[in-house]
Amino acid sequence: MNEATSPIFGNLNWQVTPYTDLLRDVNSSTIVGAGAASVLVLGTIAGVALLTYMRWWGPLYRNWLTSPDAKKIGIMYIALALIMLARGIIEGFVMRTHQATALGTLAQQESGLVAPDHFAQLFSTHGTIMIFFVAMPLLIGLINFVLPQQLGARDMAFPVVNQVSLGLTTVGAALVMISLLIGKFGTGGWTMYPPYTGIEYSPGEGVDYWLWAILISGIGSTLTGMNFAVTIFKERAPGMHFMRMPLFCWTSLCVAIMMIYAMPALTVSSAMLALDRYAGFHFFTNEAGGNMMNYANIFWMFGHPEVYILILPAFGVFSEISSTYSGKRLYGYTSLVIASMSIAVISFTVWLHHFFTMGQSAGVNIAFGIATMIIGIPTGVKIYDWMATMWRGRVRITAPIVYLTGFFLLFVIGGLSGIILANPSIDYQVHNSTFLVAHFHNVIIPGVLYGMLAGIHYWFPKAFGFRLDEAWGRRTAFLFVGGFVFTFLPLYVLGLMGMPRRSPTFQNPDFMPWMYIAGFGAVLMLCALTSLFWTFWTSYRNRLALAVPGGDPWNGSTLEWSTPAPAPEWTFPRIPHVQARHDWGETKRSNDPWRAPKQYCDIEMPSNTPHGLLIAGASFCFAFAMVWHIWWLAILSFLAVPGLIALRGMMIIEPKIIKAAEVEEADCRFRQQVANLSAVTRADEETSRNRGVPDVSEFAG
Amino acid sequence: MSETNLYPGLNLGSGHGEAHDQAETTVFGFWVFVMSDLFIFGILFASYASYLDPIGMAGGPGPQTLFDIKSVAIQTAFLLVGGVAYGGVSIGTKYEHGRTVVIASLLLCAALGAGFLFFEVKDFITQAGKGGVPQASGWLSAYWALVGLHGVHVFSGILWISAMIAQIAVRGLDDVVKVRLSMLGVFWHFLDLIWVGIFSFVFLVPLA
Amino acid sequence: MTRPNTGEVDPQDGMAAEIKSYAIGFAVSLLLTLGAFTAAMSDISATMKVLLICIAALLQIVTHLRNFLHLSFSGEQSREDLLLVLFSVTLLAIMAGGTWYIMSDLSDRMHTSHEGTTHSFKSN
Repeated sequence: MNEATSPIFGNLNWQVTPYTDLLRDVNSSTIVGAGAASVLVLGTIAGVALLTYMRWWGPLYRNWLTSPDAKKIGIMYIALALIMLARGIIEGFVMRTHQATALGTLAQQESGLVAPDHFAQLFSTHGTIMIFFVAMPLLIGLINFVLPQQLGARDMAFPVVNQVSLGLTTVGAALVMISLLIGKFGTGGWTMYPPYTGIEYSPGEGVDYWLWAILISGIGSTLTGMNFAVTIFKERAPGMHFMRMPLFCWTSLCVAIMMIYAMPALTVSSAMLALDRYAGFHFFTNEAGGNMMNYANIFWMFGHPEVYILILPAFGVFSEISSTYSGKRLYGYTSLVIASMSIAVISFTVWLHHFFTMGQSAGVNIAFGIATMIIGIPTGVKIYDWMATMWRGRVRITAPIVYLTGFFLLFVIGGLSGIILANPSIDYQVHNSTFLVAHFHNVIIPGVLYGMLAGIHYWFPKAFGFRLDEAWGRRTAFLFVGGFVFTFLPLYVLGLMGMPRRSPTFQNPDFMPWMYIAGFGAVLMLCALTSLFWTFWTSYRNRLALAVPGGDPWNGSTLEWSTPAPAPEWTFPRIPHVQARHDWGETKRSNDPWRAPKQYCDIEMPSNTPHGLLIAGASFCFAFAMVWHIWWLAILSFLAVPGLIALRGMMIIEPKIIKAAEVEEADCRFRQQVANLSAVTRADEETSRNRGVPDVSEFAG
Repeated sequence: MSETNLYPGLNLGSGHGEAHDQAETTVFGFWVFVMSDLFIFGILFASYASYLDPIGMAGGPGPQTLFDIKSVAIQTAFLLVGGVAYGGVSIGTKYEHGRTVVIASLLLCAALGAGFLFFEVKDFITQAGKGGVPQASGWLSAYWALVGLHGVHVFSGILWISAMIAQIAVRGLDDVVKVRLSMLGVFWHFLDLIWVGIFSFVFLVPLA
Repeated sequence: MTRPNTGEVDPQDGMAAEIKSYAIGFAVSLLLTLGAFTAAMSDISATMKVLLICIAALLQIVTHLRNFLHLSFSGEQSREDLLLVLFSVTLLAIMAGGTWYIMSDLSDRMHTSHEGTTHSFKSN
């Protein structure tokens, strides 16, 4: 920074907003920057105004922000992810537009919508947001919502820790968001490799925003992993043996294991980089014995398991929906379990394939190349299992099935390009080209995004009590599939033509046709995003016609479909005693599945607490103060965190007791309602006759 | 769910009823968390090893100049005895010897931990005086980060002990406090384990 | 610790056994620590020293896990914890071993000539 650090405001001053840049020099780049900041500011103002006008502050605080209920925490995670997804996709659109206008000449090399530095910020925030603040919250949110219900538990093992995790993830997202308005984000890509991101080449706040966003949300994710693992190990309903767990629970367990063991590596590499930047350490510098290659090594020890953290929950979702919407039992349950666990463990042995070209000898590259090819095997097993599940099933082409089909077609291409890249000698040719960009979007979009959107569509009724509009759901799905094909398949070609990734400009006119196709794809992606939000809105407006109070709109076979929609706070009136693998399905076979329990008892639920909110507030102040070198605030807010924990430790916290009578009343009302609703056949599932009570005789799962 | 012999010794016997069942979930969760912490240390150990060569030391002071093996031995003794002293807390809680015994054992642990920290900080100051600051070389960065992180853990352990003493004084040895004492035990012994790694691989091996 | 056939714990019996366990753990740890320090300061070859230090450290870690953290294969919960520790250590070994493998290979390729002699280090 050009001026001396102020003791009160640190490096903050009026020069840091994009509006200052706009005043200094009006061009397309600064207009885009100021426009984005304005969207953030106006969006915040609109949100605050809406909450105030509707008098929603109280309900928001009481029912959501202070709630330790895993279902609500899950929904909040997904809401956060969707907001960040909007920003991520818009950034992708801006980048595609930029590259479609970025053809320079030898005389005037720079061209395009945004300045090179601005472009670098765009791809850095896009990557960071999509991985850490879209994909992660989506899958964590979905697991939070679904896992306890599938296990027959009322909540996570540690509800308050869960709340803290959500708070910390939100802090990370908020830091990335606020970098739009105050200061700049880093330009080192989502991996932020030193020495470029060291203090010498990247002074200023950009890399620090990334560091603190990653460190803080990383702690949140570690705690989440611990929470998931303990929930699965200790909170299963009686009779729910491991081999009776639905596949989604298995993939959640794999995710938990990988989070527990992979997140520390990210914490270490980021903390080392922070020490280099803040305290003059020499972990990754060029001089004084630093070794920047150790950063790549440690970062990818996290980074590779992270890839499977992202993809495995989607595999869990696909296992559930392929079986439910085909009206068939899941094919090869055991092989899917083994495949998931193998992927979880093997994913820890392949990290070097992210830096084949760093200079190690061929023997090392071969070892990791082979491990990488091996991990393709269990993934292939899974694809065949899902196809076999759908084979000769009575498949209903619902939105999740459109996503699943798109996944089949596209993910296989992405996987195969991965196997190509796993060969070090080929990797040497195409690394750092847009071939790689095409490859990882080709696995992450069909894998994570389609999987999570399919999961949201599938479980939405359980959360809110009404289905999502099928027609709009399918339109969204088709737009996402088409958008992907047009945006990213051209990048394979461009990569093979020699276009480096992350280039703000290029001088080869042969690239242009492909750039235009990719730009058209980006328009489709933008349409898909709009269509996604429209689906939510239009379904909300038609919520009465789409309501499914019976709670089982798809004739499912797992426990979560046995409860009303939306599921009550306590989920199950009595903790179920599980008798079989597809317990709810087996109950359906044995007639009268909606039998009331013999007796009800008081239910203990964790009481609401602002603990997570307070810790998140303190962490945000700490991170923001560290980014801007406001030391007094950093010290105060840092001390506040152990202070809050110690304070809570002193308090005796009574659980919330829900009286048996209240549970009985609600449960009887539900069962009465189910008895009065007419059952819906598969053929009518999409119509308003679907009130959440399926025709049990049709169940074949 | 409640088998006999869950956490024998460290935790509570089956006579403690609900605290015993709760301990199973909570302490298992804490074990998982500690394993995650172990990875942070493990990666730092691996980094330390990769910087332990003339290039990583970059002409700065090396182990022979900086390490005081006698002080390391004293620190080891403090931590080892401190770890065993936590046995007093575990046994005192499990066999209901009352608050005084538990608080006295906790104070002893905290005092021994503080003794360890005193000698460690003294070493750090001496080393910095000899030019062994973390800014001097990659190897010294790794050394300070690893050993410093362990020191920060011991310091947090002492803070946690103080918080537990306050809780015992105010709340008494209720179920929640007993479970937390079990977790603190896992943490405190875990620090001992890490120190075994540190004195062996950070101090003794480079001197060998 | 558990009385045969009844499954009940005799408090006094249990406590004596536990104190004994702590005492044994302490004595063994003390001996192993002394052994490691003595080895480091003795005149044997460097390889032997490193070997002895590593063995002592490994044994001491096992002692701590057994006597202080009470992990064992008997008892459902302590077995679960022990399996957790063993699984973690396996993954950690992959990560730490992999780091060593990669970084030492890189170091060899960057700082060693083909004849295998180390260049004098030049600081840039």
